[in-house]
Amino acid sequence: MQDPRLRLLSVAVLSLAAFASTVGAAAALVWWLLFTPRTGSLPRPGVLLPLVGMVAATALVSAWGGGAGLSYFFRMTVILLLAAWAYTETEDGEVLAVAVWALGNRVGFEVGLVAEMGISGISVLRQEIEQVRTAMALKGIRPGVRSIVPLAVTLIVTEIRRADETARLLVVRGYTTGGKICPRFRTDPLDVPATIMAIMPAFLSALPLRDVFILVG
Amino acid sequence: MRVELADLVFARDSFTLRGSGTFDEGVHLVSGPVGSGKSTLALLLAGLLRPESGAVRRHDVLSTQLLLQFPEHHVTSPTVAGEAASWGLIPDDALRLAELSARADDDPFHLSRGELKRLTLACAILRDPDLLLLDEPFASLDCTAKRKACRMLEERDAGITIVFSHERAVLPRVDAIWEMEEGVLAARGSVPGAIPSWRHAPPYLRYALEQGARPMNIRLSDAREALCRIRG
Repeated sequence: MQDPRLRLLSVAVLSLAAFASTVGAAAALVWWLLFTPRTGSLPRPGVLLPLVGMVAATALVSAWGGGAGLSYFFRMTVILLLAAWAYTETEDGEVLAVAVWALGNRVGFEVGLVAEMGISGISVLRQEIEQVRTAMALKGIRPGVRSIVPLAVTLIVTEIRRADETARLLVVRGYTTGGKICPRFRTDPLDVPATIMAIMPAFLSALPLRDVFILVG
Repeated sequence: MRVELADLVFARDSFTLRGSGTFDEGVHLVSGPVGSGKSTLALLLAGLLRPESGAVRRHDVLSTQLLLQFPEHHVTSPTVAGEAASWGLIPDDALRLAELSARADDDPFHLSRGELKRLTLACAILRDPDLLLLDEPFASLDCTAKRKACRMLEERDAGITIVFSHERAVLPRVDAIWEMEEGVLAARGSVPGAIPSWRHAPPYLRYALEQGARPMNIRLSDAREALCRIRG
């Protein structure tokens, strides 16, 4: 999907649908299968599996306590797939452009800038994790429960420092508030139908299917 | 003792690294601009990345130590002394070498990046591995600390030391020069013969060469000596 406005709208609508109900999640999964490169948009297993594992652990706890664990696992996994696709497709500056298009050069620029920094932070974080794991391997520290604390401390400290450096850099460059850009978007012929189809899961999610089946029956 | 690169090829996304050659005992400098593939080569030599084809063959190398570019990544302990101990060293020795004895109980993250670099550099050198790989060891250091780091490297009297650096002001005495350019490793040869063909040579060496001097090594003092020799 070329147009970042339609992509973000689709992801937002599909995520809400998937979160709201299992039917919505199933419909969102069908959309993901039809309109994305599917496994081509997923991160490598080393990144994806721990995330799925965390969702599975939460689902297990929920199921153990009598909650809808399986439904939760399914809905959250679909949201993860959508997020992975959106992250892979998003290019530098697109979120800023969409925010400015939607909210203007003052509020939109602020919101977009924060979002851009957050997104770029994800890739930096991934590189940092690789570096820290390398350093631990050099010291003979094996990945495990014991290595989580030093890993987390290093990541938190480096991220805070990075944010601080970025903030100082913005100040040095004279940034106070807002900015001015003229966003331009390219739209693929398939973008609009895909977005319209993304609204279907939201309808399915909001629709009281039980009532429909009673009427039909 | 030697490390041999046999038609090494490593690819990641659009970047491809290629290299062949042999690193014998002594100090080697791998120079090149930022992003040319120096850090990737260091990881390959350390055995932390697997090449697509070719091989890294270590002959009689029993221990390897890699110092990463950013010292924060090495930190695993809540105190400076504990950090030195986590390298398997006696903390006092490492802290003395790094001139951080007074900071033993501090949090490593309370040190400046330069101080932390000094600490990790001292730890890596004190471990005295057969193969010591230093990725940008002079980054974040002031001139005094750079000169001290150079002395520490020069005092290492055995093993293979490979310095990956784009530093062009303060350099150690080296035995061989290599260059990375857009992912391709080129051997310039042994010093001093390799100096004239060194494309990323620092300005003081270029100046000395332009003046007709023939420095014996790559340090500023070597260039000065060579200039003094020709000028009487």
